[in-house]
Amino acid sequence: MSIDLLQIQNVLQRYGVLINFTGRFTQAIIEELGDAVKKYLEDNSTSHSDTHNVFAVFIEQTQNIRNYTIKQSAAPDGERIANSGIITIGRSDEGYFVASGNLIYNQDITALAAKLDELAGLDKVALKKKYKEEMKKVLPPDALGAGLGIIDMARRAKQPVKHAFVKIDDAVSFFTLVVYA
Amino acid sequence: MEVLYIEQTKSTPRVEFNATSGKLSIEGQSYPENAFRFYEPVFGWLENYLNATDQEVVLDIYFHMPYINTSSSKCIMMMLEILEKSHQQGKKVMVRWYYDAENEEALECAEEFKEDLAMPFEIKLTEGV
Repeated sequence: MSIDLLQIQNVLQRYGVLINFTGRFTQAIIEELGDAVKKYLEDNSTSHSDTHNVFAVFIEQTQNIRNYTIKQSAAPDGERIANSGIITIGRSDEGYFVASGNLIYNQDITALAAKLDELAGLDKVALKKKYKEEMKKVLPPDALGAGLGIIDMARRAKQPVKHAFVKIDDAVSFFTLVVYA
Repeated sequence: MEVLYIEQTKSTPRVEFNATSGKLSIEGQSYPENAFRFYEPVFGWLENYLNATDQEVVLDIYFHMPYINTSSSKCIMMMLEILEKSHQQGKKVMVRWYYDAENEEALECAEEFKEDLAMPFEIKLTEGV
């Protein structure tokens, strides 16, 4: 097998990708990559606030994928969902971005898209209010996350959060989330 | 009551709770895989401590958390709500939240927690601590 690393590198550079991981996310990988992200930004004398925001968005994106994967682990497509994760931290003319992708079930799209569309219409004050409301809701005992991650990312975002769904087959689609932090 | 002690890891804070001195300190970043599982013993300890006596309970809480993910924030909020309830029942509760000078985000985070609470809640710089 031959692997064209130069081609891979060209693509990564074209998009301004600095750090990228693709595959199955575990808490250990999230922690190690998170450290790498933080050190990279600190070494490049990024402001404390940018470093903090990029790290925070990185954690929320990766933990959202991890939680979805755990939730679907016994489902028929659990394995391929678990292996479908990708996280990218990069830099463009508009600043640092954190982008993540993973497979999700087609039937989960409507609710997720509705939540993202609702948040996209809110300004920072309204987002804070929404965050506080969600924060005070009582969670079901089996909840993995607090459902706050997406709102937190929208609050930290320097421009509206972008998302896309690409249909793969009758079961799943590929979900992409891009946050400029 | 026993002393509660949880060692710090990369993604979880050090937690130390001493019933004799009435001091609880939570120090370090918090973004565990399962925040609710991590904070459960702290909630348990807190409830036991606050219910252990009818007399006024003095509890001094020291927070120093440079980064908190959203599910940990939810847990901290739940903890603060337990304390706020005790405060409203006339128990003595004091929260001190420390942040490092360069970490303005931690200051904003503490201010946001404080906003809806009536109990004594001091936000201080770590300098000289």
